[in-house]
Amino acid sequence: MANEVLYWQALNQALDAEMAADDSVFVLGEDVGLYGGSYRVTEGLYVKYGEWRVRDTPISEGSFTGLGVGAALAGMRPVVEIMTINFSLLALDAIVNMAAKIPFMSGGQFPMPLVVRMPGGVAKQLAAQHSQRLEQMYMNVPGLRVAVPATPQDAWWQLRQAIRTDEPIVLLEHELLYFSKGMLDTDAEAPPMHRAAVRREGQDLTIVTYSRMVDLSLRAADRLAADGISAEVVDLRSLRPIDWDTCARSVEKTHYLLVVEEDSRFAGAGAEVAATLAERCFFSLDAPPARHGGLEMPTPYNATLEAASIPTVTSIEQAVRKLLEPLPQGEQR
Amino acid sequence: MSREPITMPVLSDTMSTGRLVNWLKKPGDPVKKGEVIAEVESDKAIMDVEAFEDGYLAGPLAPPDSEIPVGEVIGYLSDTEESPETASESTPSAEALATRAPSGSASTREVVTTQMSHTPSRPNPPAAPSSAPARKEALSPPAPGIQASPYARGLARELGIDLAQVAPGADGVIHGPQVVAAALRGPQPDLDAGPPYRIEPLTTMQRAVAENMSATLTTPSFRVSARLSLEPLMKAAREHEHSTTLLLAMACARAVREHPRFNAVYTPMGLAMRERVDVGIAVDIPNGLVTPVIRDAANRPLDELAEEWRILKDKVKRRRLSHEDYTGATFYLSNLGPFAVVTRFDALVPQGAAAILALGAEHQGQAEFTLSCDHRVVFGADAARFMETLAAQLRDTARLKG
Repeated sequence: MANEVLYWQALNQALDAEMAADDSVFVLGEDVGLYGGSYRVTEGLYVKYGEWRVRDTPISEGSFTGLGVGAALAGMRPVVEIMTINFSLLALDAIVNMAAKIPFMSGGQFPMPLVVRMPGGVAKQLAAQHSQRLEQMYMNVPGLRVAVPATPQDAWWQLRQAIRTDEPIVLLEHELLYFSKGMLDTDAEAPPMHRAAVRREGQDLTIVTYSRMVDLSLRAADRLAADGISAEVVDLRSLRPIDWDTCARSVEKTHYLLVVEEDSRFAGAGAEVAATLAERCFFSLDAPPARHGGLEMPTPYNATLEAASIPTVTSIEQAVRKLLEPLPQGEQR
Repeated sequence: MSREPITMPVLSDTMSTGRLVNWLKKPGDPVKKGEVIAEVESDKAIMDVEAFEDGYLAGPLAPPDSEIPVGEVIGYLSDTEESPETASESTPSAEALATRAPSGSASTREVVTTQMSHTPSRPNPPAAPSSAPARKEALSPPAPGIQASPYARGLARELGIDLAQVAPGADGVIHGPQVVAAALRGPQPDLDAGPPYRIEPLTTMQRAVAENMSATLTTPSFRVSARLSLEPLMKAAREHEHSTTLLLAMACARAVREHPRFNAVYTPMGLAMRERVDVGIAVDIPNGLVTPVIRDAANRPLDELAEEWRILKDKVKRRRLSHEDYTGATFYLSNLGPFAVVTRFDALVPQGAAAILALGAEHQGQAEFTLSCDHRVVFGADAARFMETLAAQLRDTARLKG
């Protein structure tokens, strides 16, 4: 049955369902227990499952993520919450050197059913050190999976799939999505965790995007439709691996590709998408693939500057027009 | 000193490039706002480019007789006088010299000119003169060498289209839609099988005519011919020193007024019945044709129409016909009568009209008229009735003067 829920509620229900179904699932992180999680994701779980399965930890990302790795080695299914992706820099050794390598280096003797959840992205004036995306860093680590749910339904599906999978998974949640609403059908059958979703069908160009930018791209597509421009919007849902088949099918139909990402363009997720689709769809492209992303700078604290540093519905709309309506030679917009 | 770019203007809604005919001012010449500084040829006419503010014309100027995309810079307006010698330079040093020149001493100016005249013999020419050709190159039409998107190339390979035969889009690059359009135009002649050849580029007008005529191919048409007496009309023209063509256009317009379907145009929503008969008249000009339009030819008095026709013909001769002068006709007339060898011919129904009347040379007081019609709008018997009405109009030329 489908209900309208908030994104954090979908994650909360997913944790509840998995903890109820499997005793080896447990949650750990800063303020996940008594406080209920910074974004309420673990709300009510402490009362229901007790302090052994909902562990509050000291401010020590390296240690408690390492504890998660050890627990996964010992047969548990830990769900580590890192308060924001910015703090996960302290846990890189546990995630990159241990979790991502141990299954490979042990010849598969040690599966790694570890989930590391972390919010990220530009929220509301959290300043440069608390507004990073950093997804491209985890995308570049073989042995990890990176999922980026953009809707409550995907949050529910992908967190549950992540917990049940024997591979280490980083689940990136956008801070501004926690209080976004969407329908959640807890009985609906989940697509594979890495399967991209065509959120809107279109003929004239493909917008490949993920996380919070999916909603912005859809709104830009609505505006463009009023002018007869039909944009197809593909939500990647997973950044590692990426469902290239869905992306390529779309680009082969529309012949134009725009990648929209909140992170700065240089060496970002969009670079990977544009490069691989240029390789795969070279003879289908009617213009060079375009990327639209955040500015090449630390995120400003000032609200006006902060808003100007990342894509908006209007800027996405403009990027589409620039791609589809080339100007006469030599002219610049 | 500030310089404002002058760009190729958009002179009609279909214009994507324009040909710079010539400059009427030289770099350094003072110009007033609204003064004509250059002439540009659009799809069908030569039009004036006016200065948008007071100032001095400054280079680099686009070379005359070049085809330039709309919006591209063709020259500059400067608020200070630049000496013609330095006007085409673009380096800061040259510009600095040029600005100093008017206020500075005569020797400053001297420095500029001597430096310029000695440049060729110097072993290491200064940067300023050598940068001039580079600027000029950027203004001239794109080099031959085809730019096409990967998709366009892939499509061309699959469809067997030679990209050299495909006209690029507005950005100078061939995209998918242009290849598809080329494929739909059908096979291109195999030039390699014949003798050596050279390509004579289409003028903007030739291109416009080619596109308009190709567009008529989708019109299902038929033709009805009649031999009608032209004697009374020609006699009237001689007596009152009126143009035969104008009297013919009036006779046509009055026949159309009695058969309003011939003033309609087919649209998917239905027939657009126009309230006024505007007759487009095909006029022969070097390398093409234009169709100046006489408005409301069925109702206005002869004198007024004659004056309008005189003005239009004059504009044609001076190639000053504006977009409004040659668009929007509801009926067309093509007269090859001045060529005595032509007995009869038929014409293609232009887009936007239901019919076009073609006539050959008069012979023993009669001429062969052929009406080409859009069968979606009118039928054979309609055309026959139209011809009867036209015959009556031609017999009774006294009514034309009324």
